[in-house]
Amino acid sequence: MFRRDFLGFSGLALAAMLHKDGYASEDAKWSPPDGKPHHAPKAKSVIWLFMNGGVSHMETFDPKPMLTKYAGKSINETPFKDVQNPEKLKLARVTVINDANGQQRNKLYPLQVGFKKYGKSGIEVSDWLPHTGDCIDDIAVIRSMYTTDDNHGAQTQFHTGRHMLDGEFPTLGAWVHYGLGTLNENLPQFVSMGNREYWNLKDGHYLGPAHDAVPMRVDPANPLDYGKPELPVTAAEQKAGFMLSDKLNKLRTAQYPNDPALDARIKAYELAFRMQKSLPEVLDFSKETAETQKLYGIDRPETKAFGQQLLASRRLVERGVRFIQIQHGAGGAGVWDVHGGLKANHTKNCLAVDQPIGGLLKDLKRTGLLKDTIVVFCTEFGRTPGTQGSDGRDHHIYGFSVWMAGGGLKGGIVHGVTDEIGFHAVEDRHYVTDVHATIMQQLGLDSRKLEIPGRKRLDIDHGTPIKEIIA
Amino acid sequence: MRLIAISLLLAVPALATAADPVDYRKDIKPVLQERCYACHGSLAQKGKLRVDSAANLLKAGAIVPGKPDDSELIIRVSSGNDETRMPPEGHPLKPEQVAKLKAWVEQGAKVPADDAQEPDPRDHWSFRTPVRPATPKSANSIDAFITAKWSEKGLTPVPPADKRVLLRRVYIDLIGLPPTAAQTETFLKDTSPQAYEKVVDQLVASPQYGERWGRHFLDIWRYSDWWGLGAELRNSQRHIWHWRDWVVESFNADLGYDEMIRQMLAADELYPTDPQKLRATGYLARSYFLFNRTSWLDEVTEHVGKGFIGLTFNCAKCHDHKYDPIKQTDFYQFRAIFEPYQVRTDLVPGEPDVMKDGIPRAFDCNLDAKTPFHIRGDERNPDKDRVVNPGVPQFLNPDGLKITPVKLPPLAYRPGARPEIVEGYRKATEAKIVAAKAALATAIADRTKVTKDTPLPEKKDLLQTEGKLIFKDGFAKPNPDLWEVGPGMWKHEKGKLLQQKPGGERSHLRAKTAPPDDFEAKFDFVITGGDPYKSVGVAFDAAADNEVMVYVSGHAGGNKLQITYKNGASFVYPTDGMLNTPIAVNKPIEVLVRVRGPLMNVSLDGKHALAYMLPISRKPGKIDLVTFAASAEFTGFALRELPKEFELVQVGKSVTKPVLTAEVVEANVLAAERTVIAAEAELVAVTARAAADQSASKNDAKAAAQAEKLHAVLAAELALAQADAELKRTAPAAKPAAEQKRKAAETVLTAAKKAAETPGEAYTPLPGALKTMESNLDTTSKTRPFPDTSTGRRTALANWLADAKNPLTARVAVNHLWLRHFGKPLVANVFEFGRRGTAPSHLELLDWLAVELMENKWSFKHIHRLMVTSNVYRLSSSAVGGDANAKLDSENRYLWRQNPIRMESQVVRDSLLHLGGDLDLTRGGPPVLAAAQEASNRRSMYFFHSHNDHNKLLDVFDNANVLDCYRRTESIVPQQALALWNSRLAMAMSVKINDQLHARLADADDTKFVTAAFEVVLGTSPTKDELATCLEALTELRTALEDVKDAGKRARLQVVQALINHNDFVTVR
Repeated sequence: MFRRDFLGFSGLALAAMLHKDGYASEDAKWSPPDGKPHHAPKAKSVIWLFMNGGVSHMETFDPKPMLTKYAGKSINETPFKDVQNPEKLKLARVTVINDANGQQRNKLYPLQVGFKKYGKSGIEVSDWLPHTGDCIDDIAVIRSMYTTDDNHGAQTQFHTGRHMLDGEFPTLGAWVHYGLGTLNENLPQFVSMGNREYWNLKDGHYLGPAHDAVPMRVDPANPLDYGKPELPVTAAEQKAGFMLSDKLNKLRTAQYPNDPALDARIKAYELAFRMQKSLPEVLDFSKETAETQKLYGIDRPETKAFGQQLLASRRLVERGVRFIQIQHGAGGAGVWDVHGGLKANHTKNCLAVDQPIGGLLKDLKRTGLLKDTIVVFCTEFGRTPGTQGSDGRDHHIYGFSVWMAGGGLKGGIVHGVTDEIGFHAVEDRHYVTDVHATIMQQLGLDSRKLEIPGRKRLDIDHGTPIKEIIA
Repeated sequence: MRLIAISLLLAVPALATAADPVDYRKDIKPVLQERCYACHGSLAQKGKLRVDSAANLLKAGAIVPGKPDDSELIIRVSSGNDETRMPPEGHPLKPEQVAKLKAWVEQGAKVPADDAQEPDPRDHWSFRTPVRPATPKSANSIDAFITAKWSEKGLTPVPPADKRVLLRRVYIDLIGLPPTAAQTETFLKDTSPQAYEKVVDQLVASPQYGERWGRHFLDIWRYSDWWGLGAELRNSQRHIWHWRDWVVESFNADLGYDEMIRQMLAADELYPTDPQKLRATGYLARSYFLFNRTSWLDEVTEHVGKGFIGLTFNCAKCHDHKYDPIKQTDFYQFRAIFEPYQVRTDLVPGEPDVMKDGIPRAFDCNLDAKTPFHIRGDERNPDKDRVVNPGVPQFLNPDGLKITPVKLPPLAYRPGARPEIVEGYRKATEAKIVAAKAALATAIADRTKVTKDTPLPEKKDLLQTEGKLIFKDGFAKPNPDLWEVGPGMWKHEKGKLLQQKPGGERSHLRAKTAPPDDFEAKFDFVITGGDPYKSVGVAFDAAADNEVMVYVSGHAGGNKLQITYKNGASFVYPTDGMLNTPIAVNKPIEVLVRVRGPLMNVSLDGKHALAYMLPISRKPGKIDLVTFAASAEFTGFALRELPKEFELVQVGKSVTKPVLTAEVVEANVLAAERTVIAAEAELVAVTARAAADQSASKNDAKAAAQAEKLHAVLAAELALAQADAELKRTAPAAKPAAEQKRKAAETVLTAAKKAAETPGEAYTPLPGALKTMESNLDTTSKTRPFPDTSTGRRTALANWLADAKNPLTARVAVNHLWLRHFGKPLVANVFEFGRRGTAPSHLELLDWLAVELMENKWSFKHIHRLMVTSNVYRLSSSAVGGDANAKLDSENRYLWRQNPIRMESQVVRDSLLHLGGDLDLTRGGPPVLAAAQEASNRRSMYFFHSHNDHNKLLDVFDNANVLDCYRRTESIVPQQALALWNSRLAMAMSVKINDQLHARLADADDTKFVTAAFEVVLGTSPTKDELATCLEALTELRTALEDVKDAGKRARLQVVQALINHNDFVTVR
């Protein structure tokens, strides 16, 4: 089943290159991954939902009534003044210094939304997220995340585990793509949908562009860049041309035997042809019932765009695509980046994603896919407990929430704690790569075995699986 | 302590016992090497211990053979105590490694007879100056060395490549373009023995050579156009393309590589007044990074090290280098060489606006800037007691750098005094005088026509054209027939339309009626808040992929009026579509936008503000009211057709003034006279300031100060006269504001007169350069004068790098050339010549080439000629008949055949255009912006390319990574197939190639056609099987296309496209 390697031979190409670079020869034991997991996997695929801009943890998954109680008070006037102890703020590694963002805001801002308990677990979820709330018993909420870049470089950081100033590093999706073989030879193994901000444009970095996500649009007529002819040609003509080039390439192997690049190109071209045909079919929702489409909110303008992406994700997962990376919200530094007008912004953004997410989880569950699929809801950082301007919250790196579901993870649990005003993660603190490590673990991968010679990774790059949420 | 160690050992499972003999070479030495040598080997001997041979271990008493429990080595590696455990950094040794070590000691610590300690790092091959090895006899010395290895390894080379294949190879290799059919024909017909050499000479002399090889080195030197957020420059520099052009020109002129290094690192010290050479320091200007000086200089340190001398300084940022004798101090000393430098943009003649053009360059700005020493590489933790002096690693230069400060000539630190710049100022001022005189003549003529009783007919009010109204809305109440509400919080209140979402997202209200092609839109509003941009405007031609927007921004960082347009994914913010102008918050603003074709006029509060020509073709779309990070109240909107006869203001032209009464024309004449006088005084002042700048004499300074102040007086008088005229023109309602203005002008005049009474010696030097901000918090450094001295540090570095005694520079350079000619380098990792890297496959050849380069004036062209005329270069890349070789050398390390090379992305695109006959060979100049790339036929190296903006098609074929690209990736992915099948470019060029073949071959039969198509596209003739396959496909295609007109030609088109999709199109065989 595991076939090496859809996106063209990239492991071998990398091996060849490393060899050329003289790294590999120093480490005789090193060989590129063979596409097989290192240990028995609990999950096959990942749907990675990234909210661009920074979601307020306090108004989504980590309610803090103290904010309302002490609303308008400066933090120093409250019992929580120790949170601003400079020692505790050392985490921040500042990239962009200015007044508009990345500052601590001192005046506590009350919660802008109510919370309700959901499910058997009784976990509290914001009133802005009722559909997610309905699925809470399948979700592990992690309330104790932290990161170090107090500006939107944290978008990259959440994907790569590295601060922007350290340079460019492969994203989690790229590592998974590099490590695991494909389950479907007609589709790319790693796709991205939605808007990527400039902080976070590529994935492969030193693993090479072959490990970048393939950007995809939910448009059956034009799902990929160069996915259909840009000038008129009939399908029959193009097919004949393609068959001819395939035959000619194969004939060349007589003149140029033992040419791995030629062999790889033949394979890549065949795959391209299949991909061009398969993707429109994946994106043709006409086979989905009206009920399913409604479940994802495709019938409503507010939820349609994200709903379509999530329904496409389910159809991709069903067909064995490994990693689907969706970025929600464009504009400036990301649509969730709510320096002002929090209530209106989060009401609207939550509305846009909530029903699709609820729909996705329910649909994955009823089709049995959830047990093999990890769904991750994440963002670059949280928001400040204090107010920015009159009605906004600034970036906040010291404590924020993400959640994960499916793929052998526990549901209906909360892991980690922030202090009473949601400032610092205080128990079971997790850096972003712990999320990566958990996913790698469930996919059967050992990130240390994927390391390539000459690119020694740090312990913090690997992270540690969050064992408390693993079933 | 001992107890813990033992108990831990006991806990280790029986992974190795005394019964299993331990292999020192396999099990012991590699572990010690990986985990211990850095501190206890040839580089360092902490605790006076070396563990790099058994003898050393015994000498230090670290092991007692047969007694592991008494051996300090075993005790320390198995210690459970973090304080004493070795190694101190990283994870402990694995239990099985400890067990092996223990068993090895237990078994008597046996080692092979040849066990030896690590050699002295200074003896590493690449750290010793190369000397020319004796050359075995051969026509081409390269072949002599290669042949020697073949015999040594028992390899037999494959036959030479076919002539066509060779020709295509050398063309692409040297100029980045395949030969045309005619060029191939000429070569094949030339039977002289020097036919090939002639081609090589032509190619090396061709201007495309500099583009091809310049681009290779721009990879290594990290060329990047600027990027930022909106207009904010964050990385690299605007107009950095001047450096790119310098690179191309330098390669074409065969400037010695030593001199290239000197100019790139230190032209500002070596040639401080030569703008052509100063372009070279774009190399340093490119590394500019707004937000973090440490990142900026880290990158410079890393890439000067990797790029010029193949040393990985970056490994020593946090700790001493683990492999090479580079101390952590060396990293910071190397950085200190660059510490004083900053970036500025020197004006170019005729363009006083550095946003539009200018030469970005390095200069030493902060001469006494201290370099911090970061403990463990942590920027937040500098060692305050440590003084870091500039220098290079001691092992490479025991005598230290000889640094001599450079006294700069005045024109270097007063760049405004450069004669060509002064001339520019003079010309601009003279033009002002001419224009002022013409305006005066008009004003006088107007005066003669106007008397009190017969004012000139009033010209049309700018705000009241008579275009047909499409719709208007006073926003008294919601009007769902007119508007579709988009994102944002829109509501009607007290007869106004409010947008109350001040957040960072764009909000809009979209008109249900789309405007006609030529239209005018007027809207009235008040910006009530928002953060940070406070932008309000109108967007038109709005659709998924295109849009034009006009907005005003009350951003505290810079109020402005801006036109921006989107073409594809990103917005372009043209500088000539921007006007810095005050935009008030909480005050009514009226914006009027007029559009005819690409020409746009924008008026602010009834006054013409900006004329702009869109550089893109317009596409129809909707019109939106837009806010961005702003809350606002709208009070009116009107959309009209733009009347055909209405004259828009052309770009660069001024507006005709509307009302002319006798009083006004009289005031206009006075103002016009004052304009002439002020301009003449300006010319005097410019001349005097230039003279003072150039002579630096006190008397000249006095004269300049006097002239400048006199000009200030006359300029103030002009302003007053203009205010007078304005007041007379103004309608009664606006008189008070105009009065205010006039009063302000009077105050300025009084002050100017007072200043002119005591002119002194201080004058303003003519601006000749603008410094780039040192960081986003820097508000002051822009106005500081430039220092008259440079530290000389970079000159010292450049001289050291370019010295024939430097063991690394020439070796690293010839290795880069070899890589690109032969597909594989001689030293496997092109940026790692230290001990971590691998030894060269042909050390003598590398050294011979390095010496040959240095002894031939560091001429790259000389080395290219040697390489491409060697026999080994001309070998086939086929492995046919090489089975025996493959067994001995499967990786072709010893070049028994050529290596096939995947074309770089630029070559793929350029070749397509070239074969289609469409390539535009214009050289140099500003880069082609993203929006214009689809329509451009320029060579790909001229496309705007930065961290943020890259061309989609070029990306598919592994475009250069602007951060780090010592070697292009050669990926093989399905998107490449999709691009070559489906992209407009590939499809259009297939059609052109097909057309050309038909035109050339007239009524050729399929066989002739297919043969010619192979020859043109792939540079080979088809084999019998290939031909047959094509003929078969053609027959099938013709049947399928039976009903189509021109079926024969269309069928052949698919053959052409199949060949473009052939592996050997994107491959240099």
